[in-house]
Amino acid sequence: NCLCCITVKMSVGFIGAGQLAHALVKGFTAAGVIATHRITASSPDTDLPTVIGLRKMGAYFTTSNKETVNKSDVLFLAVKPHIIPFVLDEIGPDIEDRHLIVSCAAGVTISSIEKKLLQYRPAPKVIRCMTNTPVVVREGATVYATGTHAEVEDGKLLEQLMASVGYCTEVEEDLIDAVTGLSGSGPAYAFLAVDALADGGVKMGLPRRLAVRLGAQALLGAAKMLLESEQHPGQLKDNVASPGGATIHALHVMESGGFRSLLINAVEASCIRTRELQHLADQEKISPAAIKKTTLDKVLQQPGVTAAGVGVRTGLNLFNSSTSKHKKN
Amino acid sequence: MQLACLTAELAYQDAWCIHEVQRLAETQALLDRDWSKPFTLLQETSTDNVNTINKRDLSKIYSAPALRKTIFQVNMSVGFIGAGQLAHALVKGFTAAGMIATHRITASSPNTDLPTVIGLRKMGAYFTTSNKETVNKSDVLFLAVKPHIIPFVLDEIGPDIEDRHLIVSCAAGVTISSIEKKLLQYRPAPKVIRCMTNTPVVVREGATVYATGTHAEVEDGKLLEQLMASVGYCTEVEEDLIDAVTGLSGSGPAYAFLAVDALADGGVKMGLPRRLAVRLGAQALLGAAKMLLESEQHPGQLKDNVASPGGATIHALHVMESGGFRSLLINAVEASCIRTRELQHLADQEKISPAAIKKTTLDKVLQQPGGTAAGVGVRTGLNLFNSSTSKHKKN
Repeated sequence: NCLCCITVKMSVGFIGAGQLAHALVKGFTAAGVIATHRITASSPDTDLPTVIGLRKMGAYFTTSNKETVNKSDVLFLAVKPHIIPFVLDEIGPDIEDRHLIVSCAAGVTISSIEKKLLQYRPAPKVIRCMTNTPVVVREGATVYATGTHAEVEDGKLLEQLMASVGYCTEVEEDLIDAVTGLSGSGPAYAFLAVDALADGGVKMGLPRRLAVRLGAQALLGAAKMLLESEQHPGQLKDNVASPGGATIHALHVMESGGFRSLLINAVEASCIRTRELQHLADQEKISPAAIKKTTLDKVLQQPGVTAAGVGVRTGLNLFNSSTSKHKKN
Repeated sequence: MQLACLTAELAYQDAWCIHEVQRLAETQALLDRDWSKPFTLLQETSTDNVNTINKRDLSKIYSAPALRKTIFQVNMSVGFIGAGQLAHALVKGFTAAGMIATHRITASSPNTDLPTVIGLRKMGAYFTTSNKETVNKSDVLFLAVKPHIIPFVLDEIGPDIEDRHLIVSCAAGVTISSIEKKLLQYRPAPKVIRCMTNTPVVVREGATVYATGTHAEVEDGKLLEQLMASVGYCTEVEEDLIDAVTGLSGSGPAYAFLAVDALADGGVKMGLPRRLAVRLGAQALLGAAKMLLESEQHPGQLKDNVASPGGATIHALHVMESGGFRSLLINAVEASCIRTRELQHLADQEKISPAAIKKTTLDKVLQQPGGTAAGVGVRTGLNLFNSSTSKHKKN
């Protein structure tokens, strides 16, 4: 039983201790799929509010990314996309054969990660995934694509982990940016919608708390109906809109305002921005202006980390460096 | 205290079967009891029985939701006037929640061709074309018909209402006072509750509010709340808020279906296969809604947490705000609420035109035993909610 394998043997580490790491740890522990003493998270920044939350859940927090690597088998890269190259250079020398690197960074391609890690290991196991914050309540939406050296079992292992906190499926890598625009950013669209629906309820006389509650409950119920039904969303909408009734009047004003179009625009804008960020990361040089000096100092203070090791040089093209800066293990 | 001991015995044996308990409990001795106030059982504890259950165990069992469900199943029958989408969704939800045994559910409609009728029969509910039969077989009576049909129905079933009946109207825009005014022609103290629910009761994630009428007791409200809480969120509100609730959570699922359809279009435009796009869109909405319900944080705070600096999400949010996304949703809630009030006004003021009823439907109603043309108020220009002439002798 593979779930037992995860709980008994696997340790999971998070490079990065922000919203994503916090949400995943909360979901995994609620699902009981990992014992908290087998979870490590690290960040040079100890002031993040999520760090307190991680400690409260029983995860081990450290300022040393290297320590996380050494303690873990499955390694989630839960940092912002432009930090990924720094992190890969920092932990590259410590990666071993057992490690499964799972990148959750929007727009960062498998090939860019593999290119960097190949400087340190001959066959780094990389999986790219895109998830979203509702993993924190175990209703996330996750897709993943496996890298060149990751085995089918590695993919299945990740799928098992992520399926414990929501929906999870494998996709071709070139779909992941579109998924980012849809379900990655999707929760934000929903929060906006409930805020507005509640405003509508309050305008028509409802107290705020009740309006927020009813708005969120209506969305939740409708989404659940959709997921459990074979019917088309349009058919389900038709079933609710009785002739001459209140609902069809409301639907008309929504259509008149181009409601559908706004949502298509949103998915498109998020997807396009994701591809932009990927392009920036692949092509441009990482400017020192993108990193806080204090953060960099904290990283350099870690045992074993050198300035050359994290590639801090002006104009360094971090993803395309072909000079081997470190001897291969 | 046969029921308590039976329940305890079965619980200890881990043989918790609602239907088994029901069968055992439907003995004459239990049928003779007054079950009208189920929660007062908490005060009755008795140890003079062969099963030596002590008081602590009994009170633990009495407080269990399962026992309350059992009480409900043992003595309550539920009927639906109307066999359309709403009746179907409620029956599906109640049976999935195990709140009511299906043989205690009746639904009726003069129209046997509705696709939902097949669904109701499949679930084991008893379907009939006679509304009067539903009334006679039921204790809690849901009026699950369209608002303009309500006056006809009330005239048809009015003579058959008895003291035990709890009338629950789910019709948008139909006020408690209009229903009570009609039923007062037949009974001195009709128990009426008005509620507004929505279709996700079918998957037990509905949103329901209710307001109790003049003659309905607090326990009647609590009974309905227990029923509706088994299929989603349920709370009592002042009656004058119900139209706004209709605009928000009554119509709300339609807004969500529209949204997922559009989100999926966006995903497909950017390269995703349709099935995956619909799945991810619905899942994202569900997860976000669940986060909101389980969090004390403001929706705006949760949105901020998702929108990282310079990232994809904040770019998307900008195009939504530029298009007035929020405003469209406020407009929708307002439009639905206003239309609900319009329909209520129409029902209160205007005469029901014969043009609003199909002749064949009316004929079917008139063919029911006991139905007369005068009984259903079919006269041109009859003002159905404001008729003060007593057409029937009071029971």
